[in-house]
Amino acid sequence: MIITNSKYGVILSIPGFIIIVALVIFPLATLFIASFLRYTPMHPVTFTGLKNYKYIFGDRLFWLSLQKTVIYAGGATGLTFCGGLIIAVLLSKITRGSGIFRSLTMFSWAVPLVISGFIWRWIFNPNVGVFSDLLMRLRLVSEPLPIFSNPVLAMFACIIADSWVRIPFMCIFALAGIESIPQELYDAARVDGADCIASFRHITLPLIKNMVFIGLLITSMISFRTIDVIFSMTGGGPARSTYVLSLYVIEQLWLRTNYGTGSAAGVIMLFLISSFASFYMYLILKKE
Amino acid sequence: MRRIIARILERPLTSYLLLIIILSIMLAPIIFTVFTSFKTREETFRWPPTYFPETPTLEAYREVLFRSPIARHLLNSLIIAIGTTTIVMIGGIFTAFGLSQYKFKGSKTVLLIFIATRIIPPISLLVPFYIIMSFLNLINTYVCLMIVNTFLWYPFAIWMLKSFFDKFPRELIDSAIVDGCTRTSAFLKVVVPVSAIGIASVAIITFLWTWNEFLYGIIFSNTRAIQPVTVGAHYFVGDELVQWDSIAATAIFTALPGIILFSIAQRAIVKGLTEGAVKG
Repeated sequence: MIITNSKYGVILSIPGFIIIVALVIFPLATLFIASFLRYTPMHPVTFTGLKNYKYIFGDRLFWLSLQKTVIYAGGATGLTFCGGLIIAVLLSKITRGSGIFRSLTMFSWAVPLVISGFIWRWIFNPNVGVFSDLLMRLRLVSEPLPIFSNPVLAMFACIIADSWVRIPFMCIFALAGIESIPQELYDAARVDGADCIASFRHITLPLIKNMVFIGLLITSMISFRTIDVIFSMTGGGPARSTYVLSLYVIEQLWLRTNYGTGSAAGVIMLFLISSFASFYMYLILKKE
Repeated sequence: MRRIIARILERPLTSYLLLIIILSIMLAPIIFTVFTSFKTREETFRWPPTYFPETPTLEAYREVLFRSPIARHLLNSLIIAIGTTTIVMIGGIFTAFGLSQYKFKGSKTVLLIFIATRIIPPISLLVPFYIIMSFLNLINTYVCLMIVNTFLWYPFAIWMLKSFFDKFPRELIDSAIVDGCTRTSAFLKVVVPVSAIGIASVAIITFLWTWNEFLYGIIFSNTRAIQPVTVGAHYFVGDELVQWDSIAATAIFTALPGIILFSIAQRAIVKGLTEGAVKG
């Protein structure tokens, strides 16, 4: 029996089909169906229509968590973007010892986010951490900063812990973009009298735009849904100042054991992320 | 003014200086953690905090390894990460190879579904996975954690692997087939050895991501016999008191695989990440 090449491709793809159906399509279907059900362990499961969605859109905590998520994701993405880009530009400029500098900047990428949360929780701790101590030694503050009891500072601390892990990732993308720019462009600009600020603005930035943009989209997508850092740093506090959307979904499962509203919250989150993720897909498809 | 700034920025020394400043900020947390892990517990609660351990001790490491469940959690993480990597790689290389070299009608759609999968936030599927896993009675098992981690990393692996196979010269496969190989043996004997570095980098990334995973770990496991170390690390966090020296030692054990693998295979990892995300 002869198997044609394209049939052979189908056979090879069977593991992929199985995984797509069992681990993506089936759970997604369950998610959508459960979001229309009154589904708790205590009651018989019944159809409720849009009640779960109504509950969530009427829930003050949902809107609060959405607001916190936008601040958190926006802050983390912004800090990651700036940090990653600056490091990438500096790394591209040096020649001697660039290998060792590169490895050292990438190190924090390997640290699990949960652990990053613990590390920064210690650093920012007003009773034992070095951050307050450093500020006091520099005479910037007179007493330890109570970071985790101040809503704004707590959010800021989480953003820093999150970005610390992501900056290397962003840096990898920016660096890959910068290195694909031919050196002749810079030489030509120099001949024309451009200084380094001008060549950065008119050569580097426009040419790495696409690469950086993909990195940016991935970072924002991921930080929109992360929870690890918040779990080990603040647990959502103080006074729900770092209460993000993911925590809201988990509470539907843990505190309320309501699979229906949990699913509805999941569907809403899926749509929110898809709205800017579809942009990411569009960019990739354009490349293909 | 601008000319002065530009001239300062153009000096190579400026780049080195700035890099050293940024690097020390980036590395300081790791260094602080290493130092804290060698302190005595009494010293970690002192104010003002000490920077270097005054009386270096291995007490925290002894506590973490022998008097706490962390060793067990590390073993759990290892089992889950190796299991997931095996499933993802075995399921991944054949499919990625098929999608890359033996295109069929609809293979493009399959690839599209794989990118689309990447944008599903894991938290959205938390509840459905929970329902399915309780139905199958799999909550709090290694198998459950391997399955959900496969969902998380399989699409990434497919795209990274595909971008490596895309660059594989087709003539090499064809000439192996002319020499009497079947397509499968040509794949296993020619393609896999030649792309070994690419395949290894995908395996390393999958291993690290699974090792670092937290959300599904905390939802789908609830006993110390199963929980991965990212979840188990909360053992030293009490309501009143956090045992900073032990937390620091745990942090080092948990970050160690990443730091070791990253030091060995940095080039391959960077390549895998950029190719998988940008081309894919």
